[in-house]
Amino acid sequence: MSAVLDAREIGMRFRNGDEFTEVLKGVDLTLQPGELAALLGASGSGKSTLLSIVGLLLRPTAGTITIAGDRVDTLSDAERALFRNHRLGFIFQFHHLLPDFTATENVAFPAAAPAGGITAAMRQRARELLARVGLADRLDFPATRLSGGQKQRVAIARALMNKPDLVLADEPTGSLDRVSAEQVLDLMREVNREDGATFLICTHDEQVAARCTRRISLSEGRVESVMNLGDTDRDK
Amino acid sequence: MFVLAVARRYLFSNPSQTALLIAGVALGVTAFVFITALIAGLATRLTDDVTANSAHVSLETPTRLARVLRGPDADVESVVLVSTFQRRQIRAWSSTLELLRSQASVAAISPQISGSAFLVKGEAVAPVAVTALDPSGLDAISPISTEIVDGEANLGADGILIGARLAENLGLSAGQPVLFRTDRGVDRLLTVRGVFETGLQSLDERVAYLSIQTARPLFRLPEGVTNIEIKLVDPYQARDVALFLHEATGLRAISWQEKNASLEGALTAQARTGVLIQVFSLISVLIGIASALSLSANRRRGEIGIMRAFGVSRRFIAGVFVLQGLLIGMVGAGLGCLSGYGLCIWLATLTNADGSAALPIAPAEGGYVAVFALTTLGAVLASVLPARAAARLDPLEAIQQ
Repeated sequence: MSAVLDAREIGMRFRNGDEFTEVLKGVDLTLQPGELAALLGASGSGKSTLLSIVGLLLRPTAGTITIAGDRVDTLSDAERALFRNHRLGFIFQFHHLLPDFTATENVAFPAAAPAGGITAAMRQRARELLARVGLADRLDFPATRLSGGQKQRVAIARALMNKPDLVLADEPTGSLDRVSAEQVLDLMREVNREDGATFLICTHDEQVAARCTRRISLSEGRVESVMNLGDTDRDK
Repeated sequence: MFVLAVARRYLFSNPSQTALLIAGVALGVTAFVFITALIAGLATRLTDDVTANSAHVSLETPTRLARVLRGPDADVESVVLVSTFQRRQIRAWSSTLELLRSQASVAAISPQISGSAFLVKGEAVAPVAVTALDPSGLDAISPISTEIVDGEANLGADGILIGARLAENLGLSAGQPVLFRTDRGVDRLLTVRGVFETGLQSLDERVAYLSIQTARPLFRLPEGVTNIEIKLVDPYQARDVALFLHEATGLRAISWQEKNASLEGALTAQARTGVLIQVFSLISVLIGIASALSLSANRRRGEIGIMRAFGVSRRFIAGVFVLQGLLIGMVGAGLGCLSGYGLCIWLATLTNADGSAALPIAPAEGGYVAVFALTTLGAVLASVLPARAAARLDPLEAIQQ
């Protein structure tokens, strides 16, 4: 089975006046289908930058990226946007739901915008996803009337709307209380196990990393360690 | 159309702010309509005042100018002098009348003999500009018969109509005789048949009306006429009609605008002032739309960032803001046109103590189509900058803020 993500020799330098800051120094990262991987590291280790590069939101200064067999680091901006829409899902620390839309409309949005409208099939899938994340009774609730945990669950459903090859999550529990964070983590694990969705979760929280099948630690722009965790470990 | 649905949803998300924005646009459009209708009404009133008692086009004999003829080497060879052996007159006026009667743009025709004379009563002498015309067409150019304040509008044989100021200066009233002395040195006793009062001092003090038959021997003009005065269906066609008549008859054709160049200059200046006010009211409307949409784009940075992260195209994002501008512009302009029309209709009903209109406003000429199109187009253009800014947002930067 080919890798969902195969990033090679990823380098990233930021210019700050006359000086350059090297954030990533030749990082290799491979994810197999169905993996739930945690990307760990201290603040400034380069983990968010790596996630943005893999998510095609940032262009690396070096290296190649292949997602589900397609080379993506050479794509134009428009092609990258299209690729993000069809093949990637995003969950951010702050859900950024569209406040003027219902839960169903928010979930359907990534499919509806390029298609020019929400079709019955899109609405049906959005409802199924919301039911899947435990919000069957909140389908037509405006986003503003949902709690923080519910909003993040809507964000997870939204990330899955277009059946992405890879879901990228940046501190998905960072803005939630402990109970809500546990629920969101359980949900991501459940979707990972039952639907086979591949997740790459960027976090600095050891408890989040402990729930994943693999933990990749970054330090000073390099991969410091990679640890595969068995199901027994992550089910603790 | 999903982008339109999103734009509408954004507008309805904050109804009070959207209502205020639309009200601002409507207010600007109302001001535009009011100014346009007022300037049109003023121009119409001034034009009506000027043309009510005068012709729209006057036909006269061509001007004869003394001139120098130059040879091939630019040396003076000969001088053409103006002949004064014959009276200046339009001899073929019957054929000219036939031509004029065939023109749909012509409303009334008055062939006239114009000249200068003195009215003498005792030791009092007053110069008058004489207009001699066909009694049946007395009102063709100026509605004199409706302005008779003493006597009647009946020229008859040896009759004369004079203005109220002139009658006052000479101590004359209807039925009294007066000595008429032309610039040809012919004297004749005429009877004042009627005294008119137009309200225009130049007419009431200096003009006298005779029948053309009475005038012929007095001005020694047995056949021709000196001028043909014409009223048009549309006074604003006067220039074109004058040009046509000049080319068709060879006569000098003078439009009322040419006769009243200063009035035309004033109307042009007034129209330009109006355009400036219109432009400023439109600019203020457009700045309002641009700033409101910029604020909206800034407030929604996070949402826009997430949309961009999901791969929603820049065109879609820009479309959401441009369509908001379009909707605000259309609704605001529509409401502004309605309120502007209502305001103009109400103002048109206001009258002075004497019953005349307080404001010379023309509600039908508020420039509704123009202001609707300009505001809508302007609103779209005003939304382009915020739309571009929103579409160009770096998703990563927007999400992380």
